[in-house]
Order: sequence, then structure tokens, then C-alpha cells
Amino acid sequence: MGRIAGTDDLGVPVRVLIVDDNPGFRLRARRCLEAGAYEVVAEAADGASALEAARRHRPAVVLLDIKLPDTSGPSVAEWLAREPAPPAVVLTSTHDGADFGGRLLRCGARGFIPKAELSSERLSALLA
Amino acid sequence: MPTLLRTERMVARSLAETADPRDALAGALRAIGESLGWRFGAVWEPAVDRPEALRCVESWHADGIGAREFEATSRRTLLAAGEGVPGRVWSSGEPAWIPDVLADDNFPRAPAARRAGLRAAFCFPVRSAEGLLGVIEFFTGEARAPDAELLATMAALGDQIGQAVERRRDAEALRAKEARHRAMLAAALDCVVTMDHEGRVVDFNPAAERCFGYRASDVAGRDMAELIIPPLLRQRHRRGLARYLETKEAAVLDRRIEITGMRADGTLFPLELTITRVDIPGPATFAGYLRDITERKAAEAELRASRARIVEAADAARRQLERDLHDGAQQRLVELALDLRMARARLDGDPEQARELLDAALEDLAAATRELRELAHGIHPAALTEGGLRPALEALVARAHVPIRLVAVPQARFSAAVEATAYFSVAEGLTNAARHGGARHVEVEAAEGGDRLRVEVRDDGRGGANAAAGSGLRGLADRLAALDGDLEVISPPGGGTVLRAEIPCGS
Repeated sequence: MGRIAGTDDLGVPVRVLIVDDNPGFRLRARRCLEAGAYEVVAEAADGASALEAARRHRPAVVLLDIKLPDTSGPSVAEWLAREPAPPAVVLTSTHDGADFGGRLLRCGARGFIPKAELSSERLSALLA
Repeated sequence: MPTLLRTERMVARSLAETADPRDALAGALRAIGESLGWRFGAVWEPAVDRPEALRCVESWHADGIGAREFEATSRRTLLAAGEGVPGRVWSSGEPAWIPDVLADDNFPRAPAARRAGLRAAFCFPVRSAEGLLGVIEFFTGEARAPDAELLATMAALGDQIGQAVERRRDAEALRAKEARHRAMLAAALDCVVTMDHEGRVVDFNPAAERCFGYRASDVAGRDMAELIIPPLLRQRHRRGLARYLETKEAAVLDRRIEITGMRADGTLFPLELTITRVDIPGPATFAGYLRDITERKAAEAELRASRARIVEAADAARRQLERDLHDGAQQRLVELALDLRMARARLDGDPEQARELLDAALEDLAAATRELRELAHGIHPAALTEGGLRPALEALVARAHVPIRLVAVPQARFSAAVEATAYFSVAEGLTNAARHGGARHVEVEAAEGGDRLRVEVRDDGRGGANAAAGSGLRGLADRLAALDGDLEVISPPGGGTVLRAEIPCGS
């Protein structure tokens, strides 16, 4: 039997940090990821608190909005990449990923999912 | 003293006494007549209006003789070449002696001469380097045999008188030319400054006095560079002058150039300048024609700034639009998509939660629709495109949060640019009244007249609005300027605000 979405090889839920300044999106993202058996361990509304939450909660995955009030998603991704045991970063945005060009790959992110297309299946496919 | 010698001296003295060519002739005539004791003399010249005929232009007669009628007849008479005594001398160029004009068959004025008692006559040419100027004739009261010596003396005097008259006429023409030149310089709107080959000021016209702040009498003979060229540019000016004088190769002659000038008080200003070499013999003289272009430069700079502001405003509006879409409708649609996907996932397992999610999705959809409508209205109100200014302003007034009275709005349609500018003028006035002015009542009025559409927003708010400070009013002013319109904001502190826009709307 293959592993189900949101669990690791041992069947333990994958820990996720959601970073977005819009509470409406954070609520819905949490809802749809948790429905896929991911565990949302924390939410952050800006880059600084995202870094702090990542250090405290050690998530395996960070779902990161490209546009943040204090900095940009790719910058946060670069900070996270320099952490010990860095999490997998998945960028998201209202915009299409193509709008941002090569920056998405250069910052060390695992991939990009447009906000309207977010689902646990889509996230798992990207992480596999 | 012999009579002829005395005559020569009297003529010479009389010529020396006057600078006027006409007076010189009259004086010579009197000197000859009086010294010889003859009775009537006259000068004949080619008539101005009929150069092929001679006219009597000057006359003299001895006191107490009845020569008035003969004088008047002479003044009236026009003589062709060869006709009468003057005509004969004019044709031959030689002096002539008529012992008795009454016995002469070529003398049209004979009846008048008989009544005046004039008999013998002599006549001689008045000549200058240019040629024959005219002739002088004299009459006496009795017939007289030719006097060769007198005639020879008169021929010599004719040359002397001619040269004297010619010199005086040249001087007079030169004075007239100079007077015209001065009048032109005085009336010129441009500064005219002439300088000699050493760079010293020769002429400094009134426009230059006004522009540079010097009096012409104070600057004549002074180094022009020291007066009107800023210190940093003087070396270049002097090198240019020296190079021209040495090589005759001019870098700046007869070209329009823009440089910086300096006024008497040391202030600098932009000017345009053309320098020409004045075409007279001798050392080089240069004339500079200069114009203060401070105002033109300021207008050009303002035009550039205004264009840049229009472009910036358009960019800013696009950025704002992107932000509004991203933060508003796009956000709602993302949430809608996530809610719908979640609802579908729950449809079988948890219909109750699916229903809640669908309700939330419907709310998101309604909010997104509302936001898009607001946004579209802000970009360009549909009512303006479809119905013109009146329905658009009615809609704008209906949506406002302060009581607004629409006093009058023309029903007529105008060009899209005029309607949009009028609409946004009102919108800006209302925004100002509500947001910054704390107004309780606002009146909006639009009227067309004299090919202009006037739009006015009056409020009873705090006043103190500054058209130059706010980006909204500045953008509106630029927009109006682009259409050749005007924006006026009257906003005394505490006295409410009147925003008045005038837009040309003629064809």
C-alpha cells in the first residue's frame, strides 16, 4: 500500500508552516492541507515571524506567499535554506508562477503552486 | 577790393556759415546778388516729381524792387532741358550770358520779366563730383553786354557751391540714416549690443539697459565681457574674439546660440544670442542681438515636468489598479476556489460542512463581484461613456456620503476627453470636500459657454486646500493643462473650497 498524502514514509503527518498575510487564505489553506492529513504546526503573517516559527516548530514544509508585508517570499526562502536541516519551501501566490521568472528556482524553493489550485494532492505531488 | 574778389569771399563766408544744404544755396545766392548789385537770382534743379524738367527751388531779389510777380512766375514754371535760360545751361553744362532777355526768342518768362523791368541775365551750372546739380541765374535791370571775366568767376563759384551743397547733403543723409538707426535700436524688443575689435561696448540699446540693468552712458567704452558675461565664460569669449581677429574663422558668428548672461546685480539668466560682424571698413565691429529667455526656459521646463507627471500619474494609477485587483477581487476568487474544492471533497462524507462551504463561496463571489464593479467604476464610469456628463454626475452624487446638490449640468455630449476631465474634476472636488475638507454641504455645477465647459464644486468645509501640494489636484491640473484648460482652487482657511475647472470644448 502506497503512502497517503501528507504522511511520510512511516505514516507520520508532515509538519507544515503556512506564511501569508491574509488570514482568509491561511484558514482555507490549513483546512485543505489538514483534510489531506498534513499537520499545520504554525501560521505566520510576515517574513520575520515566519523565520521565528520555522526555528521553533521545525516544519518539514513551508508554504510561503511570494508577497509579504515586510519582505518577499523568495528572500524568506533564501534565509530558510541557510538554516540547519532546512525545510522544503513551496511558494504560492495569487499570480501565476510564470510572472516571477527564474527567481522562484534560484531561491532554493522546491516549487510553486498558484493559490487557487492549492490542495494536499498538489502539494504531495510537488514534494514526492 | 575788386568786385569779383569780394563776391568770391562773400560766397565762401556764407557757405562756411551753414551746415544745411538749402541754407547754403540761399546764402550763396544772396552773397552773389548783393556783391554784384544785380536784382534777381534763382536756383533751378531737376524737379523731384519730374526729373526731366527744371524747377526753381530757391530765389533772391534786391530790396525795394517789384520782383514778386517774376519770382512767383519763376516758382510756377517748369523748364525742359534746352528751354529758357536755365534749360540752355542745363543742356550745355556751360555758363551763358543773355544781353537782353526781352530780345531773346527762347525765354518763356519774358512777359513777367518785362513787367519786373529785368533785362540782362547770366546763368551758370552748379556742379559737384557727382555731376550737374542745377543751375543759378541772375538778372539785372538793364541790357548789358557779356562780361567774360564775371562769367568765368561764376563758373568757378558754381563748382565751389556744388561741392559745398553736396557735402552738406551727404552729411544730412548720414544724419538721417543714423537717426533711423537709433530709432530702430531704441524701439527694438531685443537687446542690441555692439562692440569693437577690443571687446569694448559701442552701442547699448534701451532693451539692453532694461535687461542687464546698466545705463548705456555708463557702459560705453567698457569691456563688454566684464559687464554681461559671467566670470566663468569670459575666458572663452576672449579666446573666441582673439581667434577670430587672428584667423577670421568664427565659431559663433551668424548662428543662434544659447548662453548664460549676467545682469548688473550679478544674477545669471539664460539668453539666446546672434552675433554678426558689422560690415564697415576698418577694425572689426560686432553687433550682438540678445534675448532674455528665462520665461521660455521656465515654460519649457514646466511642460517637461507636467508631461513627466502625467506619465508618472498613469503608472501610479496602473500600480494602484494592480494592487486593488490583487488585494480585492483576486483574493476573493482564490478563496472561492479553495472553498469550492473543499466543498466538493466534503460532498459525500460531510454534507453539512459542504453546505457551509458553499455558502461561504457564494459570499466570496458576491464580494468579488462588488469589488470588481467598484474598481471598474473608478477606472471609467460606464454611465459617462453611455449617457454623458449628466447621468455620470448624477450617479457620482448618489454614491457620495455628504449631501450634494447638483445645481446644473448640461445635457449635451462633449468629446470623451472633455467629459472625462469634467467628471474627474467633480470627483476630485468631492473627494477633497469629503476626505480633507470636512464639508457638510456641497454644490456641483457645470455650464457651457464661449466654447468652454466650466465645472465648479463648492463646499462649506475647512478650506485651506492647496492645488500645488496634493497629488490629486496636481494631477488634475496637469490633465487640464494638457487640454489647454485651467484649474482654479479657491480655498481660504475656514472659508470652504471652490474648485473651478475650465475646459475648451469647441470644435
